Amino acid sequence: MVLDPPSPFDMDGKVAIVTGSGRGLGKAMAKALAAAGAQVVCAARTPEQIEQTVAEITSDGGTAIAVPTDVTSSAAVDALVARAVEAYGRLDVMIANAGGGGGPQNLEFWEYPDDAFESVVATNLKSAFYSDRAAARQFVAQGEGGVIVNVASGTALRGNQQFAYPTAKGGVISLTKSAATMLAKHDIRVNAIVPGYINQRPPRDEQEAEVRRNRGVRVPVRRLGDWWELGPLALYLASDASRYVTGELFIIDGGGLAGGLAPVTFAPAHEIGAAS
Amino acid sequence: MTTSGTPVDLAALPGPAHLRLDGKRALIVAAESPVGAAIARAYAQAGAELALAVLRPDEAVVSAKRLQRELEGLGTRSTVYVMDVVLGKNVQVTTRQIAKELGGVDIAVCASDLFLGKPIGRTSDSELQQVMAYNFNAHFFVARSASDEMRRNDPAGGRIILLSHVLGERGLSNTAAYGAAHGATQQLVRSLSQELAPQGVTINGISTGWMDWMQDRLDERNDDAGRAVRFTLPRRAGSPEDVAPMAVWLAGSGAGNVTGQVFHVDGGLTQHL
Repeated sequence: MVLDPPSPFDMDGKVAIVTGSGRGLGKAMAKALAAAGAQVVCAARTPEQIEQTVAEITSDGGTAIAVPTDVTSSAAVDALVARAVEAYGRLDVMIANAGGGGGPQNLEFWEYPDDAFESVVATNLKSAFYSDRAAARQFVAQGEGGVIVNVASGTALRGNQQFAYPTAKGGVISLTKSAATMLAKHDIRVNAIVPGYINQRPPRDEQEAEVRRNRGVRVPVRRLGDWWELGPLALYLASDASRYVTGELFIIDGGGLAGGLAPVTFAPAHEIGAAS
Repeated sequence: MTTSGTPVDLAALPGPAHLRLDGKRALIVAAESPVGAAIARAYAQAGAELALAVLRPDEAVVSAKRLQRELEGLGTRSTVYVMDVVLGKNVQVTTRQIAKELGGVDIAVCASDLFLGKPIGRTSDSELQQVMAYNFNAHFFVARSASDEMRRNDPAGGRIILLSHVLGERGLSNTAAYGAAHGATQQLVRSLSQELAPQGVTINGISTGWMDWMQDRLDERNDDAGRAVRFTLPRRAGSPEDVAPMAVWLAGSGAGNVTGQVFHVDGGLTQHL
């Protein structure tokens, strides 16, 4: 679909890889780019889910292929980029979204084992590096610049009890800023999306909807985010609409990180000169 | 237990030389405030001479005189001044007088703070002006006048320390004016650090969180205030004695390469989800 009138958000003729696009935020971003005209390469470990994403994109009139990929393998990520170029002739956008929590829960810090830490770092940080590097290599070979969007996490900007995941996502934020610095001379922009608490899909039942409402009241906007709300931001960052923007973090969290000092209901009332 | 509330008695510590302030002349603005008084005590224990400036000629003078007698007991000379921080000229004249009487100013601490908790729609022009005056302008005036005196030192140089609050970088309902004013003070630290560095003057901020003397914003009748305090990692409000050691370190010879930074003394409040 070409936006009419011609718009800086238009992705017509552009090729984008979205890793982790079998569900949730990645799927929403893949569909948003496809709806704006991009040819989308959907990557994830599980073939069935990305095939479903591709089916939804094509039934909406878009263009996409599914390429099952283990993003923790640098050879597999290189092959993903090669496959995208083989299919569509070029690459313009890499959205390095794959990642996930995982790792053991409820362990004390000093109990956390090597293999669990390494696994979380591989899934969330190494995967982003492999994706960014493979894309940059292709962008430089094409000589026309390119766009990288990494997906980090609000947990990376504040400590929390998950530990390994925010640590790895903190690395993604540093990766974004350094890669932006190193790649700017090749007209390659690198930015990061920093999501807060986002629902990955519609609620399965009223009970789940209720759980979400209860969690949502702790967010300044009084609700959790929804998967599809990542699409418009991904499109802004992937398109020429953001052509002068690089090395930045785009926090999308309903105001959580802007506050966080107290319950959202706390509104101290105090007059100047009143006894304290 | 490193997060406990036990006050640190600096005089009882072995006392590394870089934490000694012997012969240093320190101006404490808002010395009547709990944190200003705690810093004054810590500086006295570290050997500094003190000018205690209070913001108003009222009971603040009485509490400063009480502090003065307490410091005398520690063997420290100090003088009490009234410094109306609303007008820059007043700050300049009083700072000049203090510098003349002490023979210079090496350290200036500004703890001026005035809380207003009100929705923006009900915040009047004059309330905004007062909030800006005590939470930002006062810090600007103290930094301007103190840095001017520090330039005259031989050798030129000095340390400026501004007390701020984490509401200057994070949002909370009813704190738009107060938070914006402290945000301005925190940026003042960064901007001025670049300008004052060639003159040997460092400027840093100490940003506090939920502190035990802040009944102005932590009304004990409000359950959310108690919940806010439990947002700190040690689950307690900070005390003046939690803050003073940071002010000693920043004033000491070990911190000469530290400038333009705003340090949190907030029990981890700003650093976790």
